[in-house]
Amino acid sequence: MTAPTARRGFTEEAVTELIARRAEPDWMRARRLDAWNTYQQIPMPTRFDEEWRRTDLRNLKLDDVQPFGEVHPTSGGSLVPEAEREEQMAGFLGLQDGRPVEYRLDDSLKAKGVIFTDLATAVREHGDLIREYFMTRCVPASDGKFAALHGAFWENGAFLYVPRGVTVELPFRTIVASSLDGTASLAHTLIVLDEGSQATFAEDFTSPTAQRAGFSTRVTELILKQGANLHYVGVQRWGRKVNDFHTERVLLGRDSTVTLQTVEFGSQLSKGRVEAILQGDGASAKLLGLYLEDGTQHFDRYTLQDHNASSGMSDLLFKGVVTDKARSVFSGLIRVSPDGKKTAAYQQNRNLLLSRTARADSIPNLEIGCNDIVGCSHGATVGKVDEEQLFYLMCRGLNRAEATQLIVEGFVDPLVEAVPILPLRAALRAEISARVRGREAD
Amino acid sequence: MENSNGNPNAPVQLIIKDLHASVEGKEILRGVNLTITQGETHALMGPNGSGKSTLANVIMGHPKYEVTQGEILFKGINILELSADKRARLGIFLAFQYPSSVPGVSVGNFLRRAVEAKREGYDPNAPAAPSGEMPKRKGMPPAEFRKLLNQKMQLLKVDNTFISRYINEGFSGGEKKRAEILQMAMLQPEMAILDETDSGLDVDALRIVSEGVNAVRGPNLGVLIITHYQRILDYITPDVVHVMYKGRIVKSGGREFALEVDKQGYELLIQALEEDEAATV
Repeated sequence: MTAPTARRGFTEEAVTELIARRAEPDWMRARRLDAWNTYQQIPMPTRFDEEWRRTDLRNLKLDDVQPFGEVHPTSGGSLVPEAEREEQMAGFLGLQDGRPVEYRLDDSLKAKGVIFTDLATAVREHGDLIREYFMTRCVPASDGKFAALHGAFWENGAFLYVPRGVTVELPFRTIVASSLDGTASLAHTLIVLDEGSQATFAEDFTSPTAQRAGFSTRVTELILKQGANLHYVGVQRWGRKVNDFHTERVLLGRDSTVTLQTVEFGSQLSKGRVEAILQGDGASAKLLGLYLEDGTQHFDRYTLQDHNASSGMSDLLFKGVVTDKARSVFSGLIRVSPDGKKTAAYQQNRNLLLSRTARADSIPNLEIGCNDIVGCSHGATVGKVDEEQLFYLMCRGLNRAEATQLIVEGFVDPLVEAVPILPLRAALRAEISARVRGREAD
Repeated sequence: MENSNGNPNAPVQLIIKDLHASVEGKEILRGVNLTITQGETHALMGPNGSGKSTLANVIMGHPKYEVTQGEILFKGINILELSADKRARLGIFLAFQYPSSVPGVSVGNFLRRAVEAKREGYDPNAPAAPSGEMPKRKGMPPAEFRKLLNQKMQLLKVDNTFISRYINEGFSGGEKKRAEILQMAMLQPEMAILDETDSGLDVDALRIVSEGVNAVRGPNLGVLIITHYQRILDYITPDVVHVMYKGRIVKSGGREFALEVDKQGYELLIQALEEDEAATV
C-alpha cells in the first residue's frame, strides 16, 4: 500500500480518498463530489479573464501539491499568541494542519446556545446548521475555480453560531497554522449571526516559510441576519512560498452591520475577493484592508460592495505599502441595483510605494443602476512618500529611514487602530515596524 | 571672533559666508553674509521674494535648494555637506512657516523620537552609516520624557490633548505655530530659525506664540526671526535687524531699525539704498 501522504495533485482519486478517510454524513460527501464536478467544469483562469488579467497563474503547479496529508507534529506549545495569553476571550480555537489542537469556549456562552467549534466537529454535531449555510447561499462552489476546489477538498476551519439576541462582548479567536511545505491548506470559516446578535471574531493564518511552495485556498462566509453586528478580522501571514487564493464574503440582512477587515502580510502570490452583499434594507458594511508587500510579492484583490436593498451604507478603505519589486492590484466595484434606493457607498484605495521598482495598480469601478442614491464615490492614490513630510521629520533629527518608517506607520495607523483586540493591534504594529525598518523612501 | 571649533568654551556661532543658492536653476541667494552667536536674537526682514525663506531652508538643508557658492559653518563644521537630520542633531532648529502634517503620527510619539535623536547628537568624526541604517540610540525613560513634556507644555500653555493628536493634522494656524515652538522647547537647540512664525496669526495668537519663544530664549540660544512685518518684534526684541533684498542682506541695524523699516516701508528703503549705491559708483 502506498503512503497516502505521497499523493500529489487534486484529482478524482484524491477526492475519493479524502471522502473515504473522513467520516462525514452523506450530504457532505455528495457536496464534495458536486464541488469536484464543478471544479472540473470551470476552466483554470487565464489572463484573458478580466479578473485575472494582472495575475499570471502559469507558474502555479497544482499537480505538485499534496492535497491533504498527515497532521504534522506540533511544537507542543500553545497556538495562542504570546501577547494574548492573558487576554480574555469568548473562545479560542487553534488548528494545526486542519486538526483542532486547542479549543475552549466560555461556559456561559455555551449555556446561551452559542456554538463555536471546528468545522469538522460542527458537521457531525450541528449538521443542520452546516447543511443550511456551508457553501450554499454565501460562497457556493460554483463561485469560481478555487471556490469549487475548496468545496471538494476543504479540510477544516472555524464555525461560529450566535443565537438570536445574544451579544458576545469578548472576541472569538482562531489561529489556523499550516505547514504548507509542498502541501495545501483549505481552511474555511463560517460565521452565522442570528437576528440581533453581536460578535467579534479574529483569526490568523500562519505558516513557517517552508522549503517547497505551498497552496492555500481559503473561504470565509459571514452571514448576518436582521440587526446582527459583526466585526471580523482576518490576518494572513503565510510563509513566503505560498500561493494563496481566498474569498471573504459577507451577506447582510436587514439593519445588520459588519466590519470586515483583512490584513495581508504573507504569501508569495495572493489572489482574492472581499465582498459585502447588502441584501436587507438599512444594512451597513465597513470593509477595511491593509497590505504590506516586499520582495517579489504579488497581491491582487477584487472587492465588491453590492447594494441590493434600500438605505444601505458601505464604506471601503484599503491601504497598502509596497516596496522592492512587489506588485499590488486593487480592483474594486461598487454596484447598486435598481433596488438600492438611498444607497451611500464609498471606496478608497491608497498605496504608498517605497521603491521605484514597486508597482501598484488601482482600478475603481462604479455600476449604478438606481438614480435615487445618497452618494457614491471612489478614490485611488498611488504615490511615493511625501518629500516635504520627510524633510519635516528629518529637520527634527530623525534620519531618512526613521522618518520613512514613521510616515509609513502613520499611513497604516487608522487600519491598525480599527482592530478591536489590543494585543493583536500591538502585534500588527510591531510586525509593520519590523517590515519597514531600515527602508528608505526612494 | 573665533568660532567654537576645537574650543568647547567658545560661544556657538552660525556663520554664513557669501552664500549663493538656487532653486530649479534660478538663483535666489546671491551672496548672503551673516553671523549669529548664541544668546543673540536677529531679525531678518524683507519684502516677499527677497530670499528670506530660501535662506531658512538652505540653512536647514532642504534638498530642493542647490548651494552654488559660499559656506555655512555651525560649531565650526561646514554643515552644507550634512543632511537635515544631522544639522538638527547638531543643534539647529527650523520652525516652519508651513509645517507639514503627518497623518497617523501623534505629536507625543514624534517628539519622543525627536528628543532621543537630538540627545544622540551628531559626531562629524563618526563613520558614516550605510543608507537605510536605523540609528541605535538610547531610549529615553518614559517618565523622564513625560516630565520634560509636561514642563514644556506648561511653559508654553499648550493643551494636554496636543500630544495625542496627529502632527499638524487639522491644526489651526495658531496651533501649528505653537506646536513648532513646543518642538523647539523640547529639542533645546542652540540655533533656532523662526520662518514667518507670525504669518497668519491674529494678535492673541501672536502674543501667545511670542511668549513661548521668549520663554525658550536664553543665553544658549541664538535666534533668527524671519518676518515680513515688524509687529512680532514688538513681542520678541531683537538685538540686530537685517533687511534682505534680492538675495542679499542690504542693511543691518539695531532694534530701532525695524521700526524705521516699518514706518518707511521696503520700497522707500530700497529706493534710498539703490540711490546710495548709484552715488558711490
